[in-house]
Amino acid sequence: MQNEVSKNRKGQDSVIGKRINRVDGYEKVTGKAVYGDDIQLQGMLYAAIRYTDIPAGKITQIDVSEAEKLAGVKAIARFKDIPGQKRLGPIRADQYAIVDEEVFYTGDVIAVVAAEDKEIAHLAADLIKVEYQPIPGIFDPREAFQSDSRLIHPEYKSNIMVHYPLRKGSVEKGFEQSDQVIERDYKTGFQEHAYIEPESITAAPDPTSKGYKIYGSIQNPFTTRKVVALFMGLNLNQVNVFGSTLGGSFGGKDDIVNYMACRVALLAKMTGKPVKLTYSRENSIKESYKRHPYFLNYKVGFAENGKLNAMKIKIIADCGAYSSQTFFVTWRSVVQATGPYEIENVETDIYGVYTNNTYTAAFRGFGSPQIIFAQESLMDEIADICGISPVEIRQLNGYGQGSITASGQKLSEHKVSLNEVMITAMKKAEYEKKIEEFKLLNAENDRFAFGIGLSCSYRGCSLGAEGTDATSAIVSVQADGSVYVLTGLNENGQGMRTTFSQIAAEILGTKMEKIVFLEPQTASINDGGPTVASRGTITGGNAVILAAKEVKQRIFEVIKDRLKETDLEKTSWQNSIIKSKNNEIPFDEAAEIASKQGINLSAYGWWNAPDVSWDEETGQGNAYFTYVYGCQIAEIMVDKSTGKIDVLKVTAAHDVGKVINRLGAEGQITGGVMQGLGYAVLEDYNIQNGEVKSANLDEYLIPTIKDIQSIDPILVENEDKFGPFGAKSLGEPTLELTSAAINNAFKFATGNHSYEIPLTLEKVFLNKQLKKPSRQSEVAHTETCRVHSTKKQSPRLNNITTITPKNLDEALKLLSHEQFEILSGGTDVLIGLRMKSGEHKLLNIFDISELKGISISQNEIRIKGGTTFSQIISNSVIREHFPILVEACSKIGSTQIRNRATIAGNIVNAAPCADSYPPLLLYEAEFVLQSYHRTRTISAEDFIIKNYQTQIEANEILTEIILPVPAPQKYSQHYFQLGRRNALNITRLSLGIIMTFENDLISDCRLVSGSLFNKPKRLPEIEKMLYGEQLKAKMIEAIEQPLKEIIEKEIGGRWSSEYKIPVFLNLMRNGLNDIRKKKESQND
Amino acid sequence: MIEIKFKVNQVDYKLEVDDSSRLLDILREELGLTGTKEGCGIGECGACTVILNGDAVNSCLILAAQVDGAEIETVENLEKNETLSRLQQAFVENGAIQCGFCTPGMLMSAKALLTKNPHPTSAEIKDALEGNLCRCTGYVPIINSVLAVAK
Ligand code: FES
Ligand code: FES
Repeated sequence: MQNEVSKNRKGQDSVIGKRINRVDGYEKVTGKAVYGDDIQLQGMLYAAIRYTDIPAGKITQIDVSEAEKLAGVKAIARFKDIPGQKRLGPIRADQYAIVDEEVFYTGDVIAVVAAEDKEIAHLAADLIKVEYQPIPGIFDPREAFQSDSRLIHPEYKSNIMVHYPLRKGSVEKGFEQSDQVIERDYKTGFQEHAYIEPESITAAPDPTSKGYKIYGSIQNPFTTRKVVALFMGLNLNQVNVFGSTLGGSFGGKDDIVNYMACRVALLAKMTGKPVKLTYSRENSIKESYKRHPYFLNYKVGFAENGKLNAMKIKIIADCGAYSSQTFFVTWRSVVQATGPYEIENVETDIYGVYTNNTYTAAFRGFGSPQIIFAQESLMDEIADICGISPVEIRQLNGYGQGSITASGQKLSEHKVSLNEVMITAMKKAEYEKKIEEFKLLNAENDRFAFGIGLSCSYRGCSLGAEGTDATSAIVSVQADGSVYVLTGLNENGQGMRTTFSQIAAEILGTKMEKIVFLEPQTASINDGGPTVASRGTITGGNAVILAAKEVKQRIFEVIKDRLKETDLEKTSWQNSIIKSKNNEIPFDEAAEIASKQGINLSAYGWWNAPDVSWDEETGQGNAYFTYVYGCQIAEIMVDKSTGKIDVLKVTAAHDVGKVINRLGAEGQITGGVMQGLGYAVLEDYNIQNGEVKSANLDEYLIPTIKDIQSIDPILVENEDKFGPFGAKSLGEPTLELTSAAINNAFKFATGNHSYEIPLTLEKVFLNKQLKKPSRQSEVAHTETCRVHSTKKQSPRLNNITTITPKNLDEALKLLSHEQFEILSGGTDVLIGLRMKSGEHKLLNIFDISELKGISISQNEIRIKGGTTFSQIISNSVIREHFPILVEACSKIGSTQIRNRATIAGNIVNAAPCADSYPPLLLYEAEFVLQSYHRTRTISAEDFIIKNYQTQIEANEILTEIILPVPAPQKYSQHYFQLGRRNALNITRLSLGIIMTFENDLISDCRLVSGSLFNKPKRLPEIEKMLYGEQLKAKMIEAIEQPLKEIIEKEIGGRWSSEYKIPVFLNLMRNGLNDIRKKKESQND
Repeated sequence: MIEIKFKVNQVDYKLEVDDSSRLLDILREELGLTGTKEGCGIGECGACTVILNGDAVNSCLILAAQVDGAEIETVENLEKNETLSRLQQAFVENGAIQCGFCTPGMLMSAKALLTKNPHPTSAEIKDALEGNLCRCTGYVPIINSVLAVAK
């Protein structure tokens, strides 16, 4: 792997700023990298969690007797078993790793089981019975904020856990002097980190320290160590934490994994064995903390020309059941809440408030995406009011060199590049030109609206006045010239190991290949503080520089006579050669000489961030020692008939100080933008009355590869005097800007300001979020509730027996005298079984060859039931005759799903959203159902009774689908499937149309809906209306009312009907117009 | 318990496993092939993608009984004689890896595509990888990596 090398400022070869391959690339592309769940220790036990069944209430009884009896169960840890500190937290110790007698949110843990194998542990967890006295939960922080509201944690006397004020000038005076004063409310939702690796932690007893070794997916090993030591009543040196390769973190693998570590350490103590706890995705989503939802109120006064005079901001942050990092997160918000604008009078108040929701804490961006969304949307609105452009308002008010921030800090110690990043982004995006283009497009198009929007931010680097900001590093040169680098920070996947290796290589003038970055373990280096706040490069990089320079000096002392040079500065260290004017020595040889002379070639670097200050009462001070600036421009397309937003392009310009690794830096931008995009339009952690509705990644939707067309990362460099080689930070700014840029593009496209994210289909279309109501409230309000839940604590496949018949005959015979569930592709059945308890007998028919294949005759095509969707969509005859079937089937799941899922499986599952079904109705398919004794044929029309219920009998297999080949005459067709994103969808609505014309009159008309009624359905009444008519705009209008009535009658009362009815009418109008226009253009 | 015979990365195996075990469990726990990852267990993330009889599949949705007689390829099979495949190399050079947790699945989906279609377009690449979620890279570098090999 050849890395790029170029010249540095002295004209020497340099690795800084180049595209450098990740040092951990090899292990990651070969599957050799060891992640949390890959850890195996001798004699290891497995743990499983018993969660609470309700979000708020007193526990009246816990019965573990049945669980204990299960063979193979080794220990069940409960509150009473905790040896050390029982309540924990980074600032305020209000959280339980295992609860005592009350639960506060739905992810609270009542007990933890350790057993010989995973399944036994899970079974035992399922067997623990708990009874409660429910308490009505508080799920809206605005309600919790009220002084008469029930106290979530009465011992703290208030639900307001933290309040940060900021006062500058006088807002009253400022408002008075303003031409206009407006007030706006904004709202942002929870965001789940959705790292692809769910959490996994292992603890093993350590006889040496009489403590524990902790392994796993840990973002901040030092924090984990501290928390476990407290919980177990041990000294810090008795807990040694080894972080494994992290499968993503984004701020997320901190508190939650610390509590997991406590639980497994406790189980390791109780059993004397290593114990591993790995989460399912459902466990992870239910228990892990999220990004804080914010309710923001901005009141702003400005002059006619757009000059801002005063801003008054009140923010309520939902911190859920526990304080966690709220103290830090909300502090960043109070510093940056005005955005990068000079305003003389500012009054900001932010409150962190307890509720019974999932607790909220660190997430990439850390209190900034929320305020930037609000304040950057507000800037566009003010520009609108003043009749100036979004750029003009930002240039008029934006920070320049020497500007004073809201907290009174003078920005003079670094290059204030706000305008520079904005201009750079605008040029690269061809912003002005696009505006004109989009205006033209919008004038011509009434369905799709195009929009472009920008947003800017400034962001304080590292921790600022929120915490101690120091970091450690060790650079150790070996006798052969190879080098170890070790820091007190952690690789989260962002590429820190590569950056630090580059920095060490650069200082020592040796090759990247000579450097090994050591896996961090807390016993070998001092606490480097958390790897948060995009502080890795700036703090750790400086520590590495200090350590490397120290070693360099020591080597120089040994070789300076040979170099005939007394001044280190006059030597050059590059390409592993140390040169002076008079001589040169290979680096490796110098290392050897030095180590033979007994010189210590290992040095410790400790970097303290420059001083910062903060006055808690006034919110004034130098909050951060330096800042970065960024600008993003989003281009979007809105389908006004459905509310669907497609993000076409994001241009992202970020001042990073100095690029260390270009490849890594660009990746930070593309990744951050994608998370910001998800935050803006898709990601909707749905928790209703404390019950998590978006339990897995099929309901909590993150962007897929199809959800953006292009991202253009631009790295702007203005070297910072405090940064290593001038570098600052990048990880977080990339995410914080995207939602505001998209929201501003949305305004451009539709003319409507939006005050809330995510911009879901419903939010865009109805201007409100629509969510499936929960039933949990009913549970929570009954007097007492005994929950002998039969729900699996962790969804998984268990208790299954499979029988695999050799052929169809054997399968049917087996079915004729025994009950089985039929397993074909498994893509629906197995997902369902994960949730179900009890025993399940499966008849595996996937590989029966008689059930595979497509046969073609003169007037019909027969698809065998076991044919996969991949096989169907690649069949040329089907492609020719049944294009809508192909189109619909190619939207099912993903390639992997389509390679397994079978058409009969999809039909028999009979989901209202089954994608293959509507086309089968359109093409008037028939199904062959076979049992051992008989074969019958049934039409697609009659087969499904209602959702998930069909005419198939327990002893039957759907063996064939018969499709009559349509007559060769020309027919018109239309198909549209609506999903929330562009792949991996659960279809929200679909519409299929086939139409034949004779002498301009409709001679055959078939309309079919999917995901609308309780089953996919034709619309015979409407078909009849169209039959024999001309397809004219008037006719299309005429069917609308009757169609509406039909739908209303059936689904009018449903929660989703408010959205689905008008949107389906739109789809119908679009579809018919589409056919009409095609036809008219043919006629011309 | 059931007995299965199958081939993984060119090696024949005969195993006795629990009926409830998924291909994913068998690979990770019975065979120690931990390169294949679990991210969701329901076919949504693609971290568990392997190639089964030539097709990319989610190994979390395939039961033991369904792999009897099958031929399977996992990420561990890509490096040959200590040399990375072109695809692996391209992932490293184009920055397609950050945390790396999605990488094995991405590689297997991409490999299945390239075997069937050595010169895919961007759109075909997106079709093939639509079932693989990545939370770190924003996908752009991943598409570039596959394109680099497709050229
Ligand atoms: S683990 Fe199989 S698709 Fe996510
Ligand atoms: S690199 Fe982390 S999920 Fe893809």
